[in-house]
Amino acid sequence: MRQFIKRNLAFARLGIQTNLEYRFNFFIDAAVQPAMTALIEIFLWIALFAALKTETLNGFTKESYLSYVIWSSFIGRIAISWMYEHLMMDEIETGSINAIILRPMTFFEYYLSQLLGYKLVVFCFSVLVPLSIVFYYNLPTELGRLPAVTLMIFYYLIFIHAMSFLTACLAFFLNRVRSFTLVKNFSIYIMSGELFPLDLLPVFWKNIFLKLPFSSGVYLPVGYLTGRVDTELFLQGFTNITYGLMVVLTISYFVWKKGLGSYSGTGA
Amino acid sequence: MSNAIEVKNLNRVYYSYQKSVGLMSSIKGFWNRKHIEKSALSDINLTIPAGQVIGLVGANGAGKTTLIKILSGLIPPTSGEIKVLGYNPFERKNEFLRNISVLLGQKNQLWWDIAPVDSYQLLMNIYDLDVTKTQKKVKDLAEILNCSHVLETQLRRLSLGERMKMEIIGSLLHDPQILFLDEPTIGLDIVAQTSIRNFLSEYVKEKKPTIILTSHYMDDISKLADRLVIISKGKLFYDGSIDQFTQNSVQKKRLKITFENPVAQSAQISDEIRLIAGTNTIDLEVEPSKIADTINRISQKEAIQNMSMEEIDFEETIREFLKKE
Repeated sequence: MRQFIKRNLAFARLGIQTNLEYRFNFFIDAAVQPAMTALIEIFLWIALFAALKTETLNGFTKESYLSYVIWSSFIGRIAISWMYEHLMMDEIETGSINAIILRPMTFFEYYLSQLLGYKLVVFCFSVLVPLSIVFYYNLPTELGRLPAVTLMIFYYLIFIHAMSFLTACLAFFLNRVRSFTLVKNFSIYIMSGELFPLDLLPVFWKNIFLKLPFSSGVYLPVGYLTGRVDTELFLQGFTNITYGLMVVLTISYFVWKKGLGSYSGTGA
Repeated sequence: MSNAIEVKNLNRVYYSYQKSVGLMSSIKGFWNRKHIEKSALSDINLTIPAGQVIGLVGANGAGKTTLIKILSGLIPPTSGEIKVLGYNPFERKNEFLRNISVLLGQKNQLWWDIAPVDSYQLLMNIYDLDVTKTQKKVKDLAEILNCSHVLETQLRRLSLGERMKMEIIGSLLHDPQILFLDEPTIGLDIVAQTSIRNFLSEYVKEKKPTIILTSHYMDDISKLADRLVIISKGKLFYDGSIDQFTQNSVQKKRLKITFENPVAQSAQISDEIRLIAGTNTIDLEVEPSKIADTINRISQKEAIQNMSMEEIDFEETIREFLKKE
């Protein structure tokens, strides 16, 4: 166990170190993009309420929506892993994976720890953006809930990484699987509640989405932080992630085994 | 001496999809693909005692790299029994992986975006190595390989030779019992090749690891290997000493003759030998039984000033062998 922790802390440091090597890219990713996304969302929702000439929408005020979209654009960007998904696919497609699987470690943990390390740093930098905006506009946010929300986001990241791992494993069988990533990420974008709050969906669909683990990526943590979601529903999110993880990891295990069996050690 | 590697009746088949040229065949192939099988290794039997250095030689596509991939656990065999250090390599147990090292000359094993010292630190954590001892080892190996000055430079900024030296250091940090070296000197200039070859030679003497080495440079094989294994079209063609192989294969000797004056007129000496007008020397490869007759015939046409005879060396023997492949 000591060795496992030591090794994975080293991978987490690698994730941070590698990304800090490319300072400009990191600055854009951790500061510029969250700020721009937040500004676009603010203007969009202010315009929407102005056009509708209403004070509330589905029972929530303009300030509530603004708070939701500010936090959802921030959390949605943290709770996604397309970059590491593409890296994993590249490793399999080009054969660079050889250097990983011939060492006493697993491909899954290697990328998971890097992902968590990198996201932790991005989180610490980028959280200043939504915090500044909610303070400036005095938007409803229960900051005391931020630690619990952070915990859920990082637990959800393990689930998201498992999804990415499963998708990347398809590269053992198919030469190009990026189109699948795009479709998958867009589906998650809707089901997680990042595109719009799940409250805007018909009750039937909302209830289905709330039972899926994806809502724990954006809707539940953001809803809990902005006061839309109660503690009981929020805690249900952890259970949903656990079930989701069990299913995805089980499928991944078999796909990985099958994939390695058909792998030809490309490029070596 | 115990066996490090035992291989019995090993076979490996690759499956791929065959496509004819042109757009129409691409359209056809969209729903109907013709799959083909290619045997990469066929009925290989091999026993390698611990501490032996094996030079694995064969033409491109002969199956050398496939054998290394199977022995290191990268890919499974289609059939056959394999034991490496007592393990089934494809199970890739951590105890097994801790005792092997794979260096693929055409692939980076270290991390591209960080400096070698950072990569080594990562390897210390992966292999659970003692920090002080490993740091000393890095320092010593870098001094021997004359590359201490680039230890803190990002790997992607290094020259091919410097990178390969860094890769070699990285592959030795955990004192592997078995080293798989696939083309460790490929693409390097003669100075870097010699430096790496000499280093490996010293390392082998000191640590006595089992090494499976493939290289297109026969100097690597002849200077490092105790035993030669030649693979031809997926089959074991030769397994024995380098000297024995050279002796068995060489049926000709190299004869170099210098004439007193340039050849005055072109003349056919035999079916294979022709004197060319204006030349001063002639290089021949002649079967031992025909040497006297050849010299006699040439001396009847031109006055010989000097003459030398050489054995054909290992590199040329292999080259001749590969040409026939």
